Amino acid sequence: MTQDHPIYHLKNIRHYYGQKKILDIDDLDIRSGSITGLMGPNGSGKSTLLKMLAFALKPTKGRIFYKGREESGFSPEVRLKVTLLTQKPYLLKRTVFDNIIYGLKIRNDHHNLEERVKTALSKVGLDFQTFSHRKWHQLSGGEAQRVALAARLILKPEVLLLDEPIASVDTKSAELIRAASLKARDDWGTTLVIASHDLQWLYSITENQVSIFNGNLFPTGIETIITGPFEKTGDHRCVKKLTGGQALLLKAPGQNEENAVVRKENIRIESLEQPFKDGINRMSGHISAMLLERESNHVLVTVLVQDLSFVLKLSPDRIGSLGLYPGKTITLGFLPEDVEWF
Amino acid sequence: MDFIAEGFVKAVGLLINGDSSIWSAVLATLKVSACSLLISTGAGLPCGFMVGYFDFKGKKQLRTVLDTLLALPTVFIGLMVYAFISRQGILGDFGLLFNLSGIVIGLTILAFPVVTAITASTIEGIDPELKLTLVSLGAGKRHILFTCLWEVRYGILTAIVNAYGRVSTEVGIAMMIGGNIKYHTRTITTAIALETNKGMFADGIALGLVLITIAFLVNLSLSFLRKQ
Amino acid sequence: MMTFIVAFLLTLGLAFTVQAETKSLMMATTTSTEDTGLLDYLMPQFEKDTGITLKWTATGTGKALKLGETCDVDVLLVHAPSAEKKFIESGFGKDRKEVMYNDFVIIGPEADPAGIKGKSLAETLTAVKDKQALFMSRGDDSGTHKTEQELWKKAGLQLPDKETWYVSTGQGMLATITVAQEKNGYTMTDRGTYIKYNSQNKGNAPLKILVEGDKNLLNQYSVLTLDPKHCPKAKYDLALEYLNWMASPKAQKLIADFLLVGEQLFFPNAK
Repeated sequence: MTQDHPIYHLKNIRHYYGQKKILDIDDLDIRSGSITGLMGPNGSGKSTLLKMLAFALKPTKGRIFYKGREESGFSPEVRLKVTLLTQKPYLLKRTVFDNIIYGLKIRNDHHNLEERVKTALSKVGLDFQTFSHRKWHQLSGGEAQRVALAARLILKPEVLLLDEPIASVDTKSAELIRAASLKARDDWGTTLVIASHDLQWLYSITENQVSIFNGNLFPTGIETIITGPFEKTGDHRCVKKLTGGQALLLKAPGQNEENAVVRKENIRIESLEQPFKDGINRMSGHISAMLLERESNHVLVTVLVQDLSFVLKLSPDRIGSLGLYPGKTITLGFLPEDVEWF
Repeated sequence: MDFIAEGFVKAVGLLINGDSSIWSAVLATLKVSACSLLISTGAGLPCGFMVGYFDFKGKKQLRTVLDTLLALPTVFIGLMVYAFISRQGILGDFGLLFNLSGIVIGLTILAFPVVTAITASTIEGIDPELKLTLVSLGAGKRHILFTCLWEVRYGILTAIVNAYGRVSTEVGIAMMIGGNIKYHTRTITTAIALETNKGMFADGIALGLVLITIAFLVNLSLSFLRKQ
Repeated sequence: MMTFIVAFLLTLGLAFTVQAETKSLMMATTTSTEDTGLLDYLMPQFEKDTGITLKWTATGTGKALKLGETCDVDVLLVHAPSAEKKFIESGFGKDRKEVMYNDFVIIGPEADPAGIKGKSLAETLTAVKDKQALFMSRGDDSGTHKTEQELWKKAGLQLPDKETWYVSTGQGMLATITVAQEKNGYTMTDRGTYIKYNSQNKGNAPLKILVEGDKNLLNQYSVLTLDPKHCPKAKYDLALEYLNWMASPKAQKLIADFLLVGEQLFFPNAK
């Protein structure tokens, strides 16, 4: 199994729904066996991207490569190896047992079914005796979602895509779903792509993260997005007014560019030793959250500045030397030129 | 009131004694209903599925046409089929007029839009998540078709029962095409329609009772299945 | 679920029961021969003697002749002699055999509002018209209807089509009698159907025979075969067999023996 190619490579994906552009991705690579988190608000295009990765949706324009081979449209063979767990648990109108073996049935696999269903159910913490004969309507939301997951795990998929897997379930189910998904990666090398807007949870289980805003993909994970309205000032500049009255000066957008992003590396913290110079946007806010990014061992710091939320990435040492903690007041800054538009 | 009560008593007697002209009418009705249901379901289910599932140009117009066909009076269908299958018509040489086969043709035309339209509506009402779920489990086109139909089996059953209701209770087609020939093309409905005003009141009631009983049994089994 | 499927399949099984299409003959006839039960009575005997299953549809004579013309049936048993002769002259029919007759009678409510009882035919119709009494007509181009229309003409009266008291039912004989009974009106019927109607009412029907015996009220029934040149697909041989059987002494006796409430409905007169 060569690791030359990432399991997914997306190139120049532009997807439209009617006239509206919903996805705009220049490049996206997902490594085989990795656990990738997909962040973004509702309507950002997360579900659309997952459907594309599941080969259930064909992009209007662009190319998708799976294991190095370009796949077109609905790729029947590849679709057998990739499964998607939707946000709302959807079970077929039949027993738990029949739901779980559905995927096997259509692959003409009738081998040793009872044993395998038992194993799958145990992976999601459900007892075979109690549950296998229950009908679809005799399960709680969390149980149904677990059954849906079991139906996919039993297929030993190469890729498991999860769309907000814990958004509508109870705590116990959330934990079981998490554990079962990770086990799939550990046992079989299944690649996991998990979409969630629960940052804390996502950061706790994923190795790398990408974020989507309005269909635009940020492979660097969560970033600070500034949305309109903006006021145009004459000289290649524009202004964003915050609720408190403060005006932020930004580089002017190009044509058709509506939203601004300030990358984590371009946000500075003012300290006594290094006061900000003129020309920099100087903002005062307080730290609202600090999350550990597992892979890099860095900390993501979220700072609330009036109605805007800024995100920076700092090393633990820096956090220590600055003495940062949630709730602390802090002064941030960024240059107008460091603003990118999309 | 005596008149009606007497009719009922006589009717029950006719039924119990197995009066052959009555039971042959029942058999004729069952035969043509079953045949036309079979054909119209076999054709209507896939058509209904396609109309409901796919998006295509002119879909709205097609639905309008279908819904209009639902409202076709049975005598009009009878008239049109008559024109085709009488000796002067295109299909004249097949001897379909005054035969149960001719009635089956007319009833199939009657039932087909019912099955198709209700199936299409049922399919349209399917949760879009279903298709996504099936695709994500690896289902191909054939599997999607059959699993979708199975998932909405109650809706489809309703379509079929509805169609059955239409074909077993209509009079126009059976009368115009069958000719109400005793022991051959006399159905429950033509018998009731044409014998009653000849004064055969008890026969009419007897047949009506049979029809109601069949309808009751059909609906009973439907509600039993729903509980499943 | 299984029981439902089994029940459905059983029903289908019924549907596909082999319909033994042995020798069968399709006849168009009038409602009077069907309503009286004469055909039900004769048919089993015919089948026994010839092995032919007779199927018939009862419409009016006019429609029956039309069915013969369009070759949708194989043989006719009707009662409108002038129309029948025209049918043969036009090349649609081949053989014509008179087989039986009865007569027409005018019936009406016992109270007889127009006072026609015992009058002559011409007087009767004139009285009905003058008193504007409700009169039910077949209105369906049947033999009976054609005869009835002839009678108005013979009485020197215009056809009362558009009069409000003249009701065209467009239906068969028994059905028309039922309408007349409901509305307390008069109608003209063949005696056979009247006897049947009377027997349904245990011999005491609300409408009674008021006028009879006029020579214009003769009702002649004949069997007509279709000309093979015009209808090559019609079963000419079987039709001829039927014609000959109806005229045979055996069938003629059967017709004479057909009684309802002790009365004879049809009088055989095959030559």
